[in-house]
Amino acid sequence: MNVTRKMFLGLTIFAAAAAVQANVVDDVLKGYEAQGAKNFSAANGEKMWMTDHPDPDDASKVRNCSTCHGKDLRAKGKHVKSGKEIDPLAPSANKERLTDPKFIEKWFTRNCKWVLNRECTPQEKGDFLSYLRSK
Amino acid sequence: MSTSNGNVRSGSSTLVWDLPTRVFHWVLVVSFAIAWLTSENDRFMYAHVYGGYVLFCLLMFRLVWGVYGSRHARFHSFAHDWSSVTEYLKALLNGQAERYIGHNPAGGWAIFLMLLLCVLASISGLIVLGGEEGHGPFKHLIAYDIGENAKEIHEFLANAMIAMVGLHLAGVVVESVIHKENLIWAMLSGRKTVEKEEPSVRAFHIIGAVLLITVLGTAGYYFRGYVVESDAVPFKPYRNVKLADNTTWRKECGECHLAFHPSLLPARSWELMMKQQSDHFGDALELDPETTNEITQFLVENSADKGTSEPAHKINARIKPDETPLRVTETRYWKRKHSAEFVDEVYWKSEKVKSKANCGACHLDANTGWFEDSDMRLPKLSTKSEETPR
Repeated sequence: MNVTRKMFLGLTIFAAAAAVQANVVDDVLKGYEAQGAKNFSAANGEKMWMTDHPDPDDASKVRNCSTCHGKDLRAKGKHVKSGKEIDPLAPSANKERLTDPKFIEKWFTRNCKWVLNRECTPQEKGDFLSYLRSK
Repeated sequence: MSTSNGNVRSGSSTLVWDLPTRVFHWVLVVSFAIAWLTSENDRFMYAHVYGGYVLFCLLMFRLVWGVYGSRHARFHSFAHDWSSVTEYLKALLNGQAERYIGHNPAGGWAIFLMLLLCVLASISGLIVLGGEEGHGPFKHLIAYDIGENAKEIHEFLANAMIAMVGLHLAGVVVESVIHKENLIWAMLSGRKTVEKEEPSVRAFHIIGAVLLITVLGTAGYYFRGYVVESDAVPFKPYRNVKLADNTTWRKECGECHLAFHPSLLPARSWELMMKQQSDHFGDALELDPETTNEITQFLVENSADKGTSEPAHKINARIKPDETPLRVTETRYWKRKHSAEFVDEVYWKSEKVKSKANCGACHLDANTGWFEDSDMRLPKLSTKSEETPR
């Protein structure tokens, strides 16, 4: 295989992955719209991302998304309890991200419960997702 | 025959211990010391086993040498009957012990007893190695329980051997003092001073040298992995049994923490854990029913009760029937093996370990679930705040 063909193939795969990502996120967002959410805002998602919430187990501590995912979405995070590495959340750094609707839902449920102590609304999830895909 | 003047023995020097006997003696000392000193901490099992193998092979050699070796190395030369032992000891108490060029009657008995203890300790060790650890010539041949029981015997024999070593040393000191000769040096040089002309035994230099070179060579071969290993590819001495695996379990459980192998907790623990998904140590799991079923089935079918590995046996045996631990770190066996006796507090505080659930920080094979003794490494503590352990 010559270099041009290699590059072409590489670009095709990259483009295909990006296309899958776009479709998946669009579909998920449409699902949230069907539940009454609208006008998703990446800016609002970012604001929520940075917001601290009380730690129900320890009044001296707070929880937010970066507790595990870190400040830089393009870098690896670390599970606050187990110390296990978490792959980067930003799709630009991790092509696997935002490609599986079930995975997205599972983690929204888990992490909203852990950080906010409740489930997120479709609007909040849509805003988060819009923020994440922009990274 | 005992000297009565205060001077050092005078006379001609003669070779008493041939070279193979001396090499045997000192390599036995070293290999027993290695095995003894590495016995308390499982981390050193590979070295412990090496000490045992060397000991066993040396003994096999000594049995042959006891027949074909030079005069004083031959068994019949120091196979005194019991009455001569009592006579010797009586004379010893009166300060009139006769001097023997080879082993005296009491010493001879001690040698036979130590040889026997070492043979039995080696064999029982191989049974433990096969049954409990799944290694060595008896792996797959000896049931786990037999291995575990043999361990008691193995330890008893080793303790008896240490007691005999103590007696032997006491005997060496007493005899050296009484007869004013340095018996330790005699076992190194092979020579003793005799008044009466006595021919030297044959030295057997080549056999002795081959014996020593073989021991050193096999040591180099056995431990070479530790020399060529790197931080990225540490040396794992054994190819272990592959425990049951499942993709869904590995993926779902491994997302947040090490996918703890089912063999580390009993079935009832896993069942309860999978029922309590809304509060999985503070997190909500929210696995769909299909995934839940698949994982639960895998966990239950390969749980600690099945006894597929050493930790499975040991963890399970120490959990009381009315207990249902939800963390491996709550189990008695885990707690004991990770107490300050084995793991210094400083390691738990280290950045490299941090959590007690971070098995992989020290257990190189944590993700396989096997938890091989020889695959344990305490991480190197580097930063200033992490003082070297006591």
